[in-house]
Amino acid sequence: MKKIFAIISAFAALVACEEWEPVFTGEYEPSERYEAQQLTPTHTIQQLCKMYSTSEPWTIDQNIIIAGQVSTDDQTGNFYKSFYIQDETAGIEIKIGRNSLHNEYQPGQWIYVKCLGLTLGMYGYKSGNYGGQGMVQLGYVDPSGSYETSYLESPLLVDAHIIKGAAAPVPEPEVLDEKDLPTSKQCQSQNRNVGRLVTLKGLKYANEAFVLLYLDSQKDTKLSSNRIFVSDAAWGITTWAMSKDRMKEYLHSGIWDEINVGNANDYNYGKVGDHRVVATDGSVSYPDIQKSAYSVSQYFKMGQTEIQLRTSGYSKFSDLEMPADVLAGRAVDMTGILTMYQGSIQFVVNSQADFVYSDTGEPLYK
Amino acid sequence: MIRKITAILAASLLSVLSFAQTGAGVKGTVVSRQGRVPVEGARMTVTPESGAATELTTPADGTFLVEGLPVGRLAIHVTADGFMDVDYNITLDGEFVRDIMFVTMTPAAQIQDVDAMNFAEFDMEDSGYSDAPTILFTSSDPFNNIAGYGFSQIRFKNRGYDSESQDVLLSGVKLNDALTGYSPYSLWTGLNEIMRSKDSSNGVDGSDCILGGFNGTTNIFANPSNVRPGLRMSVLSNSATYRLRLMATYSSGVLDNGWSYAFSASARLGGNDWIKGVYYRNFAYYAGVEKKFSNDSRLALFSFAAPGQRGAQNSSTQEVYDLMGDNMYNSNWGYQNGKVRNSRVRKTFEPVTVLKYTAKPSDKFESNTTILWRTGRNGYTALDWYDAFDPRPDYYRNLPSYAYMADEDYNRVNEAKADWLREAWTGRTPDYLNYQHLNWDALYNANYNSKDGRSHYAQEERRVDQNDLNFVETIRWKPAENLNVNAGASFRWNRTENYKILADLLGGEYFLNIDSFAERDFASDPVKIQNDLDYYLAHGEAQKIYKGDKYGYDYYADVRKAQLWARGNYIIGSLTANLGASIGYDTFWRTGMVRKGLFPGTGTSSLLESNGGDITSKGRSDVSRFLVYSAKAGVSYMVAPGHKLILNAGYFNDAPTFNQSFISPRTRNTLMDGLTTKKTASSDLSYQYTGNGYNIRLTGFWTRIKDQSDVMSFYDDTQNSFTNFAMTGIDQRHAGMELGAIVPLPVNGLSLSAAVSWGEYIYTSTPHMVQTVDNSAEIVRDEDVKYWQYSPKYLVAGYAENGAPIYDQAVNGDYKIESKTKHYVPSTPQFASELGLNYNRNYWFLELAAQYFANSYLDMNPLYRTGYACAGGDGIETPAEVEYMTAQEKFDPAFIMNASIGKSWYVHNNQIGFSLEISNFLNNRNVRTGGYEQTRLIKSENKDRYYRFDSKYFYMPGASYMLNIYFRF
Repeated sequence: MKKIFAIISAFAALVACEEWEPVFTGEYEPSERYEAQQLTPTHTIQQLCKMYSTSEPWTIDQNIIIAGQVSTDDQTGNFYKSFYIQDETAGIEIKIGRNSLHNEYQPGQWIYVKCLGLTLGMYGYKSGNYGGQGMVQLGYVDPSGSYETSYLESPLLVDAHIIKGAAAPVPEPEVLDEKDLPTSKQCQSQNRNVGRLVTLKGLKYANEAFVLLYLDSQKDTKLSSNRIFVSDAAWGITTWAMSKDRMKEYLHSGIWDEINVGNANDYNYGKVGDHRVVATDGSVSYPDIQKSAYSVSQYFKMGQTEIQLRTSGYSKFSDLEMPADVLAGRAVDMTGILTMYQGSIQFVVNSQADFVYSDTGEPLYK
Repeated sequence: MIRKITAILAASLLSVLSFAQTGAGVKGTVVSRQGRVPVEGARMTVTPESGAATELTTPADGTFLVEGLPVGRLAIHVTADGFMDVDYNITLDGEFVRDIMFVTMTPAAQIQDVDAMNFAEFDMEDSGYSDAPTILFTSSDPFNNIAGYGFSQIRFKNRGYDSESQDVLLSGVKLNDALTGYSPYSLWTGLNEIMRSKDSSNGVDGSDCILGGFNGTTNIFANPSNVRPGLRMSVLSNSATYRLRLMATYSSGVLDNGWSYAFSASARLGGNDWIKGVYYRNFAYYAGVEKKFSNDSRLALFSFAAPGQRGAQNSSTQEVYDLMGDNMYNSNWGYQNGKVRNSRVRKTFEPVTVLKYTAKPSDKFESNTTILWRTGRNGYTALDWYDAFDPRPDYYRNLPSYAYMADEDYNRVNEAKADWLREAWTGRTPDYLNYQHLNWDALYNANYNSKDGRSHYAQEERRVDQNDLNFVETIRWKPAENLNVNAGASFRWNRTENYKILADLLGGEYFLNIDSFAERDFASDPVKIQNDLDYYLAHGEAQKIYKGDKYGYDYYADVRKAQLWARGNYIIGSLTANLGASIGYDTFWRTGMVRKGLFPGTGTSSLLESNGGDITSKGRSDVSRFLVYSAKAGVSYMVAPGHKLILNAGYFNDAPTFNQSFISPRTRNTLMDGLTTKKTASSDLSYQYTGNGYNIRLTGFWTRIKDQSDVMSFYDDTQNSFTNFAMTGIDQRHAGMELGAIVPLPVNGLSLSAAVSWGEYIYTSTPHMVQTVDNSAEIVRDEDVKYWQYSPKYLVAGYAENGAPIYDQAVNGDYKIESKTKHYVPSTPQFASELGLNYNRNYWFLELAAQYFANSYLDMNPLYRTGYACAGGDGIETPAEVEYMTAQEKFDPAFIMNASIGKSWYVHNNQIGFSLEISNFLNNRNVRTGGYEQTRLIKSENKDRYYRFDSKYFYMPGASYMLNIYFRF
């Protein structure tokens, strides 16, 4: 019997301890909480943005560190794959390239960016009299040439450059006057409000929307024959944006039938209504037109300045109906990130809670 | 040889001459149940009620004759090496020699205490595979004897068939899973000693307790009196699956008072050398009691289970294996506080209880009545996440190929980013571990960050809890001396609850019972995203889920099967003919326990079932009903003593399984359209030779399977949706040969063994598919999977200046096809062979085996064989696209060598022994055993065509040991 036990013990000794861990416990202690780190910034966000020259994406070759607090929340889906950080001088988008970032980078949390090796570039610049500034962004080099920067994406790349600091409350939005708004030639380098969380008061609906639809996104989306611009009027769009289902409802209702297919100066592809198919049972469909969620710009006016409220079709509040009194002209205060696109102001909110009535201070949605 | 035959003939002649003697007598032939081959050297004790016992040993032809016996009752006890003991009670009515024809002996799986074979039967099954491979039970059959264990490492499937086709019975009750048809070995893993005695048949041949299908039958006796008497203990260690097994078994044998008892317990513990994260914490027990009554009837009651848990393996792409420098990389595990934790753990506790009554009113009639009940739980954990990044380390966006591909048409040009991604995989310091493995700490911290305590990551446990009740009656009747009849009736009642529970909140406080896939499409519709709409309507909010709560989905699968069958065996001289048929009725339905927001069944949805009804998720589905039947016939002819020809043929009309019939059972009650029975025609012809130490079988087989269906769910990039893909009309043809041979060599104790399986298992039809969007049941495609059966190669007319081929076209514009490459049934080598040298003497044994496997193919995904996947974004199918997209991957051949050694000793009447096996001692680590194609598509730069995602593979472990030390008291 002794021999037998000796043999069994010998077997047991063969085994590495690590291998036995799950065998005998099966239970695990909760993981430890990550510790916040702290770095000393070398530049403000505006100082960094000023190092960018138009149309010259710069892969940063200096030991630059910036610090800022997260001002966006991608939980509702209106911000996607990136977040903004801001300091007192400006705000900037960090193009992480992963979804659900709020799990890792909480709104208000301090973030340090080791910029060496990252690329500073602009999105949304348009030259010429009708154009203007876009937004300076921090991302990674984009050799494809499609954009000035690409998303970081690689987890190792992200962790090596984006350092998580202490949690903190979301910075209080500054209330802007019309005169504080950027002109078409201003980005973060010239206007400290660009890229920051701000409140715009007294916005009034301007009865105009903008959406770009595709006939088939599996095909080249740059072809005129594949594009439909829903623009220059409201076209019956009464939601902040449109999910796939809502888009189908709009389309099937026939309100877009008169819109041309094609690009500016190239409208030789008929109208949306040409794609209308009525089945024998009376049901209507547009089989040629891609049904999917689409982002919408709803136009508002702050005094004389046009503000495009840009909302993603994938955001959770995209299908909320804009209240009738808002459509009728009742003023709204909005809190969100002030961004620039081709010299125009595009305003992006975190959630529907960022809309309140100017007169009562009541939220639009309870 | 000739001399021996002459001697036997002379002996037979003498026995005929001596027939003239007075008194009663008995004669017959001792044969193996396996192919009715004569058993040489069987020791027979014939004991009359009064008078002395006679002992004899059978010659090569297995015949015996005992004379000079008194009239009256007679007990015959037969023992033979490699067979289970047989007891007969017969009555001699008068003073003549009674011919009892056959004394049939059941091969006990070769009693060689290697234990390797049993090890393979029970432990090679791996939860990383959806379908455990067919493991042949070892027996005295020379092919199965070798292939059963020797081919298990490569996951050889017998004749290319699914495990579903192999009938696995316990105590006469067919136990193949009621929902999937898969073989149920995991129910009794770790009870090797108890489950050792079994009876099996091959191919189309049937057995005494079931008519059977076309891929053999195995019946495990499992009752206490069939367990080898004595106390046995063993300690086993191996490096390929788990480290340590401890097993103890006691069996009383049949005591003088007619009682038998048997008990067994085992533990299998630890990890292995090859796949990190795979571990076992499995136990098993068995307890049984049996009473043999004076009238030869027996009542047995026993119960067993194999409770425990084990970590599972996952497959990855070759890119990942190459980056890790390890083909055995497993992406399922990661570190939590520095400790290894596997996210996918199989947790089971499924006790089986059997009550069996055997009545033998006469020696011509035996009846077996069995009630078998299986219950318990079967869980499989997995990560679940909501509003969170995909946590899998080998997620395709974490791989260098996602940033950079040499082919510019992929539009992946970021080499610098690819370098970062590569570094994460190739760094070998601890800093990189969390990029190469699951980062549990990050999941916990994401949950800690949750503002409202809601977990974004959680571990779920998918449960498939069966209640399976079986009533089986079989009879054996011998109405005439040359006629045997076996018949039976069975009824199966199965209700299986499919649901998931929240296994671990990973540091969060609760999880929310909403459908994150539905939320992608209906983010702003709180009704549609509910997993439990009734709860939402009653409480005004989605249900909060805490640890142990059910969530996600919950439905019952109900299956009822009833069957009647009969088989007759008629003997005319050297010819034995058998004929059998069965008829049955299978029904199944789904009962949803929760109302899903997507399919409330309240008449509000715009889409309807094909029969015009509302699409429902809660309540009962339509009932599927199938009349099933089969017929079999066979003849065997003893050409000369030891030489035999056997021909079998059968036709089988089987119902589809529950899991192949519902389009999306987790969400709705919708059945596949055009569901029909699977029709199989099969035949095999064998030649057998046994005698003088030779044991040879050569078989040719041919099988045609028609009208199979399959259903799968996957994310379709062309639809940007999660979709269901229901395929019908899948036909296959399996044709080939198998050879098994054991040949003695001139040196005493030395023999040569060989096994070859060589076949062609191909797809022979163009199935039809209906693709629906999972979230809406909208049909998006309804067409043939036109390249399922073959890949075309197009005729090239010439080459353009840039070297691109110009394909020849017919007048109507169609491209001319030069040749068609068949598509093969995957995941098994279609050529498998082993040549072994065995030495067995003085309680020593040595074995050396060389194996060669070839013609193994990767499992095909039907999406890549559709016209639209070949056409790409521009909708135009070009020859280059079709050739690329439809091709089936063939694995490289593999050469493997195995060796084993063993010895046993007797010490004070107790036996102690060991066996040591080194498998794959050449350490070949490049042998693919299986895998699958992913269903994702990559758009080319200008969106005119699609590229495939990389396929995922499983590999065989390299050199591994298995050491077993055993004791018998």
